[in-house]
Amino acid sequence: MKHIVTLERREGPVDPMPKAPRPQEEGGPRRPDTGSPDKDSLMKRMRKVDPKQAERYRQRTGE
Amino acid sequence: MALFGIETEYGITRDDVPEMDPVVESMELVRAYLTASFERRWDYAGEDPHEDARGFRASGLQQDKEEDEFSKVDARRPFSFHEMKSDLVLPNGARFYNDHTHPEYSTPECRTLRDLLAQDRAGERIVLRAAHRRNQMLGGARVRLYKNNTDFHGHSYGCHDNYLVPRAVPFSSLVAGLVPFLVSRQVIAGAGKVGTEAQESRYVPGGYQLSQRADFMETELGVDTMHDRPILNTRDEPHADRRKYRRLHLIIGDANMCEYATALKVGTTGLVLDLIERGAAPCVELDQPVIALKQLSRDPDLKAVVRTKEGRTLSALAIQERYYEAASRELTGSGEESDWLLKEWGETLHLLARDRSQLIGKLDWVTKQWLLETFIQEERLGWDDPWLASLDLEYHNVNPEQGLYLGLEAEGKAWRMTTDELIEEAIRNGPGDTRGGLRGVCVQRFSHQITSVQWERIQFAGGIRAHHLDMGDLFDPQEVRRCMNVFQRAHSPADALATWSHRKDTGT
Repeated sequence: MKHIVTLERREGPVDPMPKAPRPQEEGGPRRPDTGSPDKDSLMKRMRKVDPKQAERYRQRTGE
Repeated sequence: MALFGIETEYGITRDDVPEMDPVVESMELVRAYLTASFERRWDYAGEDPHEDARGFRASGLQQDKEEDEFSKVDARRPFSFHEMKSDLVLPNGARFYNDHTHPEYSTPECRTLRDLLAQDRAGERIVLRAAHRRNQMLGGARVRLYKNNTDFHGHSYGCHDNYLVPRAVPFSSLVAGLVPFLVSRQVIAGAGKVGTEAQESRYVPGGYQLSQRADFMETELGVDTMHDRPILNTRDEPHADRRKYRRLHLIIGDANMCEYATALKVGTTGLVLDLIERGAAPCVELDQPVIALKQLSRDPDLKAVVRTKEGRTLSALAIQERYYEAASRELTGSGEESDWLLKEWGETLHLLARDRSQLIGKLDWVTKQWLLETFIQEERLGWDDPWLASLDLEYHNVNPEQGLYLGLEAEGKAWRMTTDELIEEAIRNGPGDTRGGLRGVCVQRFSHQITSVQWERIQFAGGIRAHHLDMGDLFDPQEVRRCMNVFQRAHSPADALATWSHRKDTGT
């Protein structure tokens, strides 16, 4: 019997216990810049959305 | 805090195929992530969704009939059951597979919110990479993936949050303590939705509500997950030593794009579980929880009140305040993460009542409402314009070049706990202190010797008899690290299992 399969890619030896930084350390929570949004950029992206996209979108019931 | 994890079913569509087969597309998407041919290895033998935490086994589920119908159709397809499922166990300990009609990514078990967020975001990137590869095969950008919960035609799919809970906590205590909390949790964890709908019924455009899933919740308690969905799912599949543990399987939640919303959703639920375990949860008995859930969802002004069994009325914020105050009294100082959560939970409730604009980029329903209101003003639309449902959908698109939320995030308008580096690391490795990370180490080191996997068990081939690693009671972080260290250093699974067995016996 053959066995499985590589998944994505095999990584080399790694630290088995990677340490996640604490919230206040580097890479910790960053507050959003609550200034004015770049309306032009976001509005441009929103205008590109096909108004009928949701009408066409059909899924089967999941869990 | 408990051990926790999130399962996310993604919506999938193809731009070039009007009548797409979701089973085949989901299967092909998962397989596109592989770099070699697929062979089965998930073991379904230990799973039984009919077991009910109230102490009985359901003779049938509402969805059984539909599943039978699907099975008849599936039997005509040129694939076996396991080929259709295409279960992958990834090097980070996550599961990625076709949950019948949706690609599903289940994070490995996590112990900290930071790990959970990184693993949840890793899932977004993994499905996106699978879509890129699938698109390359198809010769163009055709597959779209959505981290949401509705198709705006009465079909919902889930994002389930799971928690390890001691079996000693009576299920009746979980029900009493959790139902009011879950009914009101949507004020922080709702993903927002344009319009209203119900299970497999007509979508009604217009209006805006807090939650994607509230429309699909039909009963207070139940073992079903596809029909008659319950506020509190009673499925009793612990995926652990049944004598000691339960797995709380919550199906009421929305799929969140905002990291902050995910952190508060899972974090505050963990705090409430701590309260229940200590017998310190507030006593709130809602008169009609299912109706209350929908009433609160459909009131983005947060003014609606719901009736308790005592005849009093409470708003969603008032219910949340009760839980927050109990948690502050009981749990302040119990841990760094708990203290952070209490601070953020309190501040969020305060801002929801007073200055919601400060929650843009932190809570999905607030962020989406702000985007849509801005667009409505710019384009002079009404809330019943069908364009808004499409924008709602695209908020959840996981392609950073298309998704509205990810566009906002790219502008620095979204609160982040993760970094891109942390997410990439989460794609490569699971948490270092949970059996999820250990599962990932086994996949990285001994992929070719693994014959089957369940959440609590890994079966290896080799020698005269098969060997397995039992993780049904492997939750102590120090013990996990010791076991992980053994599997990192061993030459073979057999060596690792022998060493681990010896160390457990001798306590070394």
